[in-house]
Amino acid sequence: MRKFTYFVTAIISVILFYFTFESVVDVYRANWQLPNETDQESLNNRLVLITQELDTPFWDKVSAGAKKQAEKEGATLEVWGSYGNNQENFLKQIELAIYSKMGGIIVQGLDTDEFKELTKVKAASYGIPIITVAHDVPSSESLRKTYVGSNQHLAGELIATQLIDDMGTQGEVILMLDSRKEFYQEQRLKGIQEYLKKFPKIELIETTTENTREQGIALTKDILNRHPNVDAFIAVNSNFTEDIIEEIERRSKIGPYYIYSFDDNRASLSLLKQGKLDGMIEQSPHRMGERSVMLMMEWLNNDTVPLYLDGYLTDIRMVKALDIQ
Amino acid sequence: MNNIQKKIWLLAVVVLVIMASIWMSLTFYNQKMQNQYNNILERYLVMNELTRTSQEMVTALNNYLLTPIAENLDSIDRSKNQIQKMKDEVANFKNAENELALTSYINLIDSLIETTDRSLVFHSEDGTESAMEALNEATFISNYISEMTLTIIDTELKTYDRFYRAIINQSEELNQLGIWMLLLITFLLLLYTYWFSLRITKPVEQLTQAASELSKGRFDLKIAVDSKDEIAFLAKMFEHMRNNINNLILEIQKKAQLENELQQSKLLLKESQLRSLQSQINPHFLFNTLNTVSKKAYLEGSEETSDLLVSVAGLLRYNLKHLDKTMTLYHEVNVLQQYINIQKARFTDRLTFHTEIDEGCLHIEIPGLTLQPIVENAMIYAVEPNEEGGVISFRVKDEGDRVIVEVEDDGPGMAEDKIQQIIDEEQEHDTMVGHASGIGLSNVVKRLRLFYGCENVIKIEAKIGNGTKVSIHILKKRGDDQDDKGITR
Repeated sequence: MRKFTYFVTAIISVILFYFTFESVVDVYRANWQLPNETDQESLNNRLVLITQELDTPFWDKVSAGAKKQAEKEGATLEVWGSYGNNQENFLKQIELAIYSKMGGIIVQGLDTDEFKELTKVKAASYGIPIITVAHDVPSSESLRKTYVGSNQHLAGELIATQLIDDMGTQGEVILMLDSRKEFYQEQRLKGIQEYLKKFPKIELIETTTENTREQGIALTKDILNRHPNVDAFIAVNSNFTEDIIEEIERRSKIGPYYIYSFDDNRASLSLLKQGKLDGMIEQSPHRMGERSVMLMMEWLNNDTVPLYLDGYLTDIRMVKALDIQ
Repeated sequence: MNNIQKKIWLLAVVVLVIMASIWMSLTFYNQKMQNQYNNILERYLVMNELTRTSQEMVTALNNYLLTPIAENLDSIDRSKNQIQKMKDEVANFKNAENELALTSYINLIDSLIETTDRSLVFHSEDGTESAMEALNEATFISNYISEMTLTIIDTELKTYDRFYRAIINQSEELNQLGIWMLLLITFLLLLYTYWFSLRITKPVEQLTQAASELSKGRFDLKIAVDSKDEIAFLAKMFEHMRNNINNLILEIQKKAQLENELQQSKLLLKESQLRSLQSQINPHFLFNTLNTVSKKAYLEGSEETSDLLVSVAGLLRYNLKHLDKTMTLYHEVNVLQQYINIQKARFTDRLTFHTEIDEGCLHIEIPGLTLQPIVENAMIYAVEPNEEGGVISFRVKDEGDRVIVEVEDDGPGMAEDKIQQIIDEEQEHDTMVGHASGIGLSNVVKRLRLFYGCENVIKIEAKIGNGTKVSIHILKKRGDDQDDKGITR
């Protein structure tokens, strides 16, 4: 009996000790993880990349490149922007960036007065350098430091060359632009026009509409109705690519039409892979991001002053549907 | 831990320490949590306040531009100061995850202040248009600030999500720990209290037991208490007392025995003296007369009679003189010889007396008149009643550490119960009748025992019809000689 009592007592105390110890360990282990403290110095070079088209493959690549470069340079980079070409929000972001006294602003160019006003007056008065990326705005109107991106004029020429190669020197070509006629679109258009001038049998038809999906589809409908013999489409604003293809598919086969676009649209690449798109200008978004941050840092560190105003051009190349398939 | 008070103190201190440590750790954790909660809350409150104040400042600016009075200007300044102060506070909230947003936020506030200042400057220079424009701008910035506040609070919530959950978890863990701790401490305290009370009550119980045994008169049980406190001291003292009582009792017993023995030996001596006095009616006269008669007999030519008379006189003198003295064996043997001479004259051929004496033993001390009564006894029982006479053998032998004196006869022997009576010194059956010295065998036994302080000094072997053998064992070295003082005194 005595032995039994001892045994039970020992067992109970072992159990109690074990659980108490366990919970003590638990309490100590449940440590509160506060966010890391920061050192103020890392905030010297605060850069911001602002785009109208967040979360598109093209801009994702740009921001990835920019972030990588920023990390390398010891700067902090934030990516702001608006979704789906929301201009109002986009401009607000730029304004906010200016008021927040960012070290530098890398921005997708927008060829509007408000944009120019912001960059020219506000940014300049706050002394914030601005570099346009991917889409340019004339330097004299925006006081941007430089432009990093594709040579849009050349891109236009490349498309035109491809068109001639594919279609021959005769036919009706529809050029789809948006009604805002942004600078980069103008340049692309100019490139195409200049090249195609040499072929008088090619008829260029410029169409413009607002940069929305409904308008794009409506415009395509309208074109197809008015110009039944159209041979080729060039989506100078690549956002129209999907609309064109969707509308054509609704009516007939896509095969006979020559359709060209640029890669700064989320659907371009997949359409090209499906063979619905005949050719696409591929730009170097990653490189653009890298280069823009690099140049901005050079500017901020006074390494290269002034920057080359005409811009630093990145590679472009023509990708044909046949190449991918 | 050697006394009860210390034990109690220890218990109290242990309990106190445990409670204090639990209380302290709980308080510490609570404080820590409280601080965190306060910090978190303060962030939100400060940011909210900042937003509100920035709006107020814009309103004040607007008012001032509309009605430029000093009061409005004051309120602008007040707001500005407040904003500056809060801006510094907000700057402290920076961490790795919100530093960019927070920097922008702080810059926004700076911009707001700058724009406000600019507006005031334009206003003082009468550029009302520009002042209004700056006001507009300030309004925008103020709006941005409130938007940014929301964004930051939102990110804060995300950033601190893990932290909040950890806090919740920890408080749950603490609760659990509290329960386990309570159980453990309760259990341990129960155990300790049980052990502790046992340590106090068990010795008391043992002591009570011992006391009750003592009160019943059992002094031989040792009092043992397994403890080290005051009870142990008590027990030790108790044990001491018991030992003392035991010793006292023993001493009293011994004293009583001694007293008793002394009394006996005194009585014995008195008796012997009385008897010898009774028999010595003017012994000197008798002695002188015997000597005269002896000489007379010698002169008349009766030499044999003369010798006999000398022997009788010698025996008589010895008996008178040396009854209470210690003699050597040599003297005793001499007297015995004289006695035998007398008896030979009486019994002539009927008495045959053999002696075997180890001369080396004759210096041994022996109480006076011990051998003669024994031989006399043999004479009375073995020779006298027998017409044919008898044989008496007397031997003195050396046996190492002791000397043995033997008196053997071939008489009718002695009954067992009679031997026992003699050994037990029962006086009424003594055989003093017919003894020359009036001293019986029992008396001899008693004296021998007293003299040597040892019980088995005499041995009687007898069989009915087959003679009797009395042997006295005398140790050469007397072991305990305090007992014979009573005799020699």
